[in-house]
Amino acid sequence: MDAIAALMGGFAVALTPTNLALAFLGCLIGTAIGVLPGIGPMNAIALLLPFCFALKLPAESALILLAAVYYGSGYGGRITAILLNMPGEPAAAITTLDGHPLAKQGRGAAALAVSGIGSFVGATLSVVLMTFLSVPLARIAVGFSPADYVALIVFALSLLGAVAPGNAAKAWAAGCFGILLALVGIDSGTGVERLTFGSIELLGGVDFTVLAIGLFAIGEVLLLLERQMRASAASLGHGAHLSFRELVACIPAMFRATGIGFVVGVLPGAGASVAAALSYTTEKRIADKQGTFGKGDLRGVASPETADNAAQIGNLVPMLSLGIPGSGTTAVLLGALLMYSITPGPLLFTQRPEVAWGLIASMYVGNVMLLVLNLPLVGIFARLLTVPPWVLYPGVIALSFAGVYAVSNSPFDLLLATGFGVLGYVLRKLDVPLVPIILGFVLGRLLEDNLRRALSLSDGDVMALFASVPSLLLWTCTLAALVFPFLRRRA
Amino acid sequence: MRDQADRLLGLALVALAALVVWHALSLEVTFAADPVGPKAFPIAVALAMGGCGVLLLFRQGLIWEKAERILPGLAAVAAMAGYALLLGPLGFILATAALCLVIALAFSASPLQAAATAVVTAPALWALLDPVLDLPLPKGPLGF
Repeated sequence: MDAIAALMGGFAVALTPTNLALAFLGCLIGTAIGVLPGIGPMNAIALLLPFCFALKLPAESALILLAAVYYGSGYGGRITAILLNMPGEPAAAITTLDGHPLAKQGRGAAALAVSGIGSFVGATLSVVLMTFLSVPLARIAVGFSPADYVALIVFALSLLGAVAPGNAAKAWAAGCFGILLALVGIDSGTGVERLTFGSIELLGGVDFTVLAIGLFAIGEVLLLLERQMRASAASLGHGAHLSFRELVACIPAMFRATGIGFVVGVLPGAGASVAAALSYTTEKRIADKQGTFGKGDLRGVASPETADNAAQIGNLVPMLSLGIPGSGTTAVLLGALLMYSITPGPLLFTQRPEVAWGLIASMYVGNVMLLVLNLPLVGIFARLLTVPPWVLYPGVIALSFAGVYAVSNSPFDLLLATGFGVLGYVLRKLDVPLVPIILGFVLGRLLEDNLRRALSLSDGDVMALFASVPSLLLWTCTLAALVFPFLRRRA
Repeated sequence: MRDQADRLLGLALVALAALVVWHALSLEVTFAADPVGPKAFPIAVALAMGGCGVLLLFRQGLIWEKAERILPGLAAVAAMAGYALLLGPLGFILATAALCLVIALAFSASPLQAAATAVVTAPALWALLDPVLDLPLPKGPLGF
């Protein structure tokens, strides 16, 4: 019952007027950026982060806002997927399979309603699971030694290659690159300048917001620029609205999807896209008796949308309890916490309960807000799709630069952000995943600190890294994750 | 060249890794509190990255997809770099308006549309950030 008491404490934080307003704002922004193709939750959080910091929002308020943007985007992505046949955010890609056929049959409104309810069910049930599982998971890690942490971080990074859809070598190289970027600046242990190549501006290291805004916001806009966008939205349709019977028919699918989504989300490396795809194919195997999946089956919309939102919440569990983010967006959230000098991990729940439990409590509230926002107002959000790109993206870029400037007041950082933008564009073209760069960047210093601490304790004996049971287990998993992509290629 | 994109990436990774290793080896450490020091970790990570680069050399990999339009992207990057340099001298509103103008044009707005976007976005953003959120932005010669 500890969890209930702690959760009540969390509600005391989440229900203050400021935090309620921030959660609401986050839900609005989240749904909106979920709708807009090309601006994902990662870009939006990267954009908002410097403002939270410059405005000196307390850590729990900033996290409540940023997390609301994150899970709110899961509600928005489906609108674009259903009406436009393109995903508003990556994880909504599967939703197009049945969602767009439904829209073309004039049942867009029904598809939007069932997916909105599915998103709510998946997210809320996952928050309940998170409430009870986070602390036990954190307890496992309380006893972790520095050597165990080294193994855990290496495992999390190696998994990126194993689950990435593309080339594993590219994912790992990106992770290493991210770690190296994190090392730029003065080494805390010895005071030696590393990888600054004589630049005074780089002495303090690369700022997290500069990297995130450059790679995601600016890089994405540059990629959009080289393609002419042609898309026309289907209307909400005038066909029959969602009936109660149809909704009931989708409930088993929603429960299955929540289970799949949450489990996939908790595993590091696998994100909401994987969960949505897995849930859809599973549901198709179980429930597609008449062969209606892919032609406009409501369950085919409910399943991936529920799994998407469940996985987003699941992703937060290892981030909060272990300090190891499971996806790119949670890595950005982790970066946000690190900017506040808060290290997530096993001690977060006891040392900063207002942050951990305030966030969890706010997610109960936020999902209710999102359901209320999304069912009646879906038409207004859909109208965002008619905003022309030449209005939208200049604003995005201007806001990006203003954010970078607000944090550092340095023209050098603006140039650096532009440079990372170009890099992000080139890497996207080369199909190099950007998420490992962010993960590597966020975990890099942590990895080195733990490694050096572990080897100090052992007087430089490397075997100390493999001395405990958890570390051996994790190294074995790492080995499996490193070998797996090569087996997969042959299969 | 376009069909060798992955190999070029591999080469770039190997070169970058070599640069990092060379740099780490050249570090002069006068005092180290721990047995590892600041060199070993970057070298290990760079070697792993270089190894991934070598893996990329073996296969041809993807073909670099040609951009449908090149000029807009170049113009946008130039505008961003210019913004970084001119934000101080010009002040936030003028510099941001210029940036928005170029980006809007790059997204195929007509000159009138782009001008309208710039004239609305820059002051609106300034109004939101400076007076409302109280984040000081650089003032230009005209005092805003």
